[in-house]
Parts: sequence; C-alpha cells; structure tokens
Amino acid sequence: MTTTAPAPPRQTRMDWARKNLFRSWWSGLITVILVPLIVYLAYLSLRFFFVTGQWDAVRVNLTLFMQGTFPRDEQWRLISQIMIFALAFGIGLGTNSAASQDRAEDAGLDYERGSIAGTLARMWSLVAFISLLLFFASTDDLGNFINPFLVVGGGLVMAAIGYQAHRFPRRIRRVGWLLTATFLVLGFQVVSGFDAGGWLPLSIIFGGAVYGAVPVDRFDSAWLRFALRLVAIAVVVLIVQAVYRAVDSPGIGWDKWSGLHLTLMVSAIAIVLAFPLGLLLALARRSTLPALRMMATVYIEVIRGVPLITLLFMGQFILGFLLPQGTVLSAITRAIAVMTLFSAAYIAEIVRGGLQALDKGQNEAGQALGMAPPPIMRRIILPQALTAVIPAMVGQFISLFKDSSLLSIIAILEFLGVRKIIHAQPDFRSVAFAETLVFVAIGYWAFAFAMSRESQRLERRLRVTR
Amino acid sequence: MTTEQNPQIYSDATKAKGEPVIELTDVDKFFGDFQALADINMNVGLQEVIVVIGPSGSGKSTLIRCINRLEKHDRGTIVVDGIELSDDIKNIQEIRRETGMVFQSFNLFPHLTVIDNITLAPRQVRHEAKDAAEESAMQLLERVGIPEQARKFPGQLSGGQQQRVAIARSLAMKPKVMLFDEPTSALDPEMIKEVLDVMIELAEGGMTMIVVTHEMGFARAVADRVVFMADGYIVEVGTPEHFFTNPQEDRTKLFLSQIL
Repeated sequence: MTTTAPAPPRQTRMDWARKNLFRSWWSGLITVILVPLIVYLAYLSLRFFFVTGQWDAVRVNLTLFMQGTFPRDEQWRLISQIMIFALAFGIGLGTNSAASQDRAEDAGLDYERGSIAGTLARMWSLVAFISLLLFFASTDDLGNFINPFLVVGGGLVMAAIGYQAHRFPRRIRRVGWLLTATFLVLGFQVVSGFDAGGWLPLSIIFGGAVYGAVPVDRFDSAWLRFALRLVAIAVVVLIVQAVYRAVDSPGIGWDKWSGLHLTLMVSAIAIVLAFPLGLLLALARRSTLPALRMMATVYIEVIRGVPLITLLFMGQFILGFLLPQGTVLSAITRAIAVMTLFSAAYIAEIVRGGLQALDKGQNEAGQALGMAPPPIMRRIILPQALTAVIPAMVGQFISLFKDSSLLSIIAILEFLGVRKIIHAQPDFRSVAFAETLVFVAIGYWAFAFAMSRESQRLERRLRVTR
Repeated sequence: MTTEQNPQIYSDATKAKGEPVIELTDVDKFFGDFQALADINMNVGLQEVIVVIGPSGSGKSTLIRCINRLEKHDRGTIVVDGIELSDDIKNIQEIRRETGMVFQSFNLFPHLTVIDNITLAPRQVRHEAKDAAEESAMQLLERVGIPEQARKFPGQLSGGQQQRVAIARSLAMKPKVMLFDEPTSALDPEMIKEVLDVMIELAEGGMTMIVVTHEMGFARAVADRVVFMADGYIVEVGTPEHFFTNPQEDRTKLFLSQIL
C-alpha cells in the first residue's frame, strides 16, 4: 500500500508575503526600505539600457571590440577559426558525453548524454552575449562586415556536425580527444599561420597519443619499452615537422591581434601553459629532494607576494635584460609569459591542497601493490586530487581571464583596451564612456559565468561515479 | 604440541610446516620515543596462517606494516622470501610484489571501476596486456563471489563487497604472502562473514597469511598459530586450542577474559 504525503495547505499570495516579507516588525521594515530601492535601481538600469544610453559607441564599433586592429582583409582567418573551434567543440562534446554514458551504463548508473542544446542552455550567459552582439549588428549598417548571422549559424552547424562523432563505434571514439585537440591547434594556426616553426603543439599531441598507443606491453625490459616509445615519438615529430615545412604558410602573428579575440586567446594560452607548470611546481614542493622543494617554495612565495601588474611591467621592462642579446619578444609574448608564470604559482598551491587532502591510504594501497611512485602519482593520486580541486582551479582560470584586462595598462589593446581607440574617434571623444564599459563588463561576465557553470557541471559529473 | 613461551624456539619447532617465507629477527620500531615494536622474533612458514591479536596500540598493525615497508623498522632484520628488506627501493618493490595487503578501510581507488582497480597494478607493474589482465581479474572476482560488480565503482558497493574486491586486487599480483590488517573491523556485522569466508577459502587453498583481527572464531578455525601482542612485545604464541583454553601468561588471560 502506498501512502502519499498530505498535500500542503494552499498558499495564497497574502500568506506568501506574510511569511517571506513581513515575518516580524524588522523584516517588514527591511522590506519597506528595500523594495522601493530595488524598484528604483531597476528603473534606472532599464532607462539606461533602453532610453538614455548612447549605444552607438558600441554598435558602430562592434568589429573593433571583437577583433581590434586585426587586419580587416585577413578577417577570413578569424571566421575560419570560429568554424574550426565550433567543430572541435562539437567533437569533444559528442565523444566525451557518449563515453561517459557508456561508463555510467556499464556501472548501472543513470546518465543523460550531453547535447548541443543542453550545453547552450547551460551556457546561457554566452548565448545572451552573442544575441546582444547580433542585435547590435542587425541594427547597424552591415557594410563590408561579414554577416554575423551567417557566422553564428555556421558555427552552430559545424558544432552539430562535430557532435555526430558520438555515433562513432566505441573503439574509434577513444580518439575523440585527439581530434578535438588537433582541431583546436589547427583553428589557432589558421590565424597564426602554418609556418615551419609551428610544428610543436601538434607534435606534442600526436607524440602523446603515440606514446600511449605503442604496443609495448609484451616487452619486459623497461629500456626496450622506453626506446620503442622514443622511436615512435621521433618518427611522429619528424612527420609533423615535414608537413609544416612543406605547407609553410605564414599567418598573422599575435603581435597584431587585439580585441576580444586577443583576450580569449591570451587567456586560453596562459591557462594551457600554466596548468602543467603549476602541477610540476606542486609536485616539486612535495618532493623529497630538499633543493627542489626549496626552489619551488621560494618561487611560489615570491610570485604570490607580488601584484600581477608589477610583474607585467617588469615583464615589459626587465625581461629584455635577462634574455640573451638579440632576442626580441613581442609585448604580447612577454605578457603571456608573465601571466603563465604568475598563474602557475597559484595553481601549484591549489594542486598541493588537493594532494594533501587525499587519504594516505590511497598511496599505501598503491605501494602495497608494488607500484613505483610515478605510476602511483599518475594513476591513483593525481586523478583524485585534481578532481577534488576543480572549483578552486576554475576559479583561478576565471581570475586569470579577467586579469588579462590588465594588459590594457601596458598598451596592449585587448577587449578593454580597445575602448582607447573608440574614445579617440571624433564621434565618441568624451561621450559614452559608461556604455562601452558596461558592454565590456557584460562580455567578461558572460564568459566567466559560463566557465563557472561548466566547472559546477564537471564537478557533479565526476562525483556521479563516487 | 608442547607449550612454548619463547616464540623463537616455537617458530623453529614448526619450521617443518614449510620453508620460512618471512623471518623477523630482533625487530624494533619506534614512533618518536614510543616503542611500537620491541624485540620481535618470528618466522612464518610456507602455507602457514598466523593470527595476530592483542589490545589496541599493541603493535599488531605496525608489525605487518613493517613487513612490506609501509613502516620502516629501526633495528633488526626482516627477510621476505629470501630478500632482506633494506632501503633499496628495488628490494622494497620486489618484496611488495610478493606480499599482498588488505587494509581495514579497504583503500580501493574510488575513481576506478572494480575491474580497473584489480587490473591497475598487473598492467602497471607487470605490464600485462589489458585483455589478459581483465580475464584474470574476472576469475578473481568469481573467486570472491562478485563477478557481476566488475563495471561498477567502489562507491556503489557494500562494505563487504568492497573488501572482497580489495582481496581480489591483492591476489591479482599473485603474492606469496597475504597480510590482513583488521580486514573486518570497518564492516557492519552482517557483512563480516562474507569476507571471512573468502579468507578461509584462501587459507584452505594454501596461501601463507598473517591476519591481524579481533575475530576469535576465525582464529580458532583457521589459524595454525595465534600470536598475542601487548605493548610492542610478542607475549605468547600457541596453537589456537592451546591458546584459548590454556593460556600461560597473565597478560593473555586478562585480555581473553575481556573479549570473550
């Protein structure tokens, strides 16, 4: 026999108001003060957005905000990049969520596979920002600007195509990460160029894939296994290098990038580089070798004690003296280096926290099985420690993303810095400061919020299997 | 059997049971100023089952954790299967491969499925191919009675099932000796039996075992010898029937009167 809980008594609006707004005399007082205040603030913001705001400063400068001073006749590179990134995103989402579904079903757990629509709903802040851009663009004279609706639509189509990778058979789908990473690099290099010097990222990715794929299990000698892997990696690197040398098509270097494009690229590069560096620093700080431990500790404590803006200035003015004579680094290269080195120190501390929080029984279990320290770290400790610190880690990535706005102070025209050009234009010389600032703020918020939501989902998904 | 109060003499007397697999000679262990193990002399013969009992803090766990170097002993020698335990990491790893260990808190890897928990070490340490490792893992899971849980994660299993997976995980490395550190102490009462049954079967199959436990029924039924420890010393050693019915030392009698 099933019993149902008694239905809650019907609540009228008066009941709700009495319970939530006027429970006691002081809560009533707070309501009486706050409600008019909130209404007034809402009125002010709405009036700013729809009546008084001079949004022309944003509207006619949309292209400037997006790509800054990037050469206009090379715009096809940026559009190709968006398409390739969308494809990579779709492949990653499709293969990854299908793999998670398989794992969950094997374990007898419920799992709902991620979809493009679901992802867009989760990242509603980005959807809202892009809609805002489209709205502005639609009211503008499109002129020579490539139709933004086609760009957004094309991106969605590419993502949908990539997403079909979830149909791949299980064995093939395992290379999903390889395809995703490859397309991410190719998308980047559509802009920066496939010149002979650009072989490194793909070599690392393919080298890593080959390292895991070489069938060395049957060989007992550690040296033989190592040698085989080395040979395989060398072959891959030589092939990649040869392809790059054959194509050798230069692009637009990042010293010519600016606007939101630069902000996103600089942040992504700094995140991708700072993560492994931070990981190594965290491991060094826990090392049993005193010299290594001390160097890592000194590095982390020095970096964490100095403001980023100071380091950025030092990067521009002092780094030149430390490098060998004749080395010329663009301002952006130096800024990326500084942001990477800065974030790595914080990431190291986050990872160290995760390592410390892990039960020491995990290490002992690995030891008792006769495993050597490196595989224990790689296969047992790190997967758990890193999962545990995802929220803090993404928090660090978000603050790195927002800190990239400091580059505008060292004369790099990223998303925020583009305003300098706009307010040098005769039409907007001393007007619409608030409008451009609010627009930039919405842009930063949209990306930061999407990252935060994504980290919450990742955290939940990885916890499902606990 | 004669009643022996000197464990060393007693161990020598049972050497006939099999070649000694583990030999501890004059082992001392300190945590700071606290002496956790004092003057431990003990031999374990092939296919012998030793049950170690004693009050908490008596050094039982420390004793078996020294054997696979989860703790470093300070004095004396420990020889496992002819290899003397030293600071040499190669030596230590070789000994750890010969000795499986089952922990009180299971210590399964929560981020890996049951089958991955079992195949991890064979694949990483012995470089077994994936298919071969999974096949022997399935056989082990059948042996401990839970083949249907292979693709689940440890968090989805009951405590008793988790501990059986932990036993299977240790067995996957084909150890010569199994060390059990209070394997049933963290389990709900109704799950203790399923784990003990697996251990009994293992003992009957001829596995050399050292078991730290509070399960006196298990000690009575399976142990070849019961070792009673207190304050870091081995106080008394004897066969179960002798040990439980006719203990010699006052310390042992006191302990038995408290728990039985």
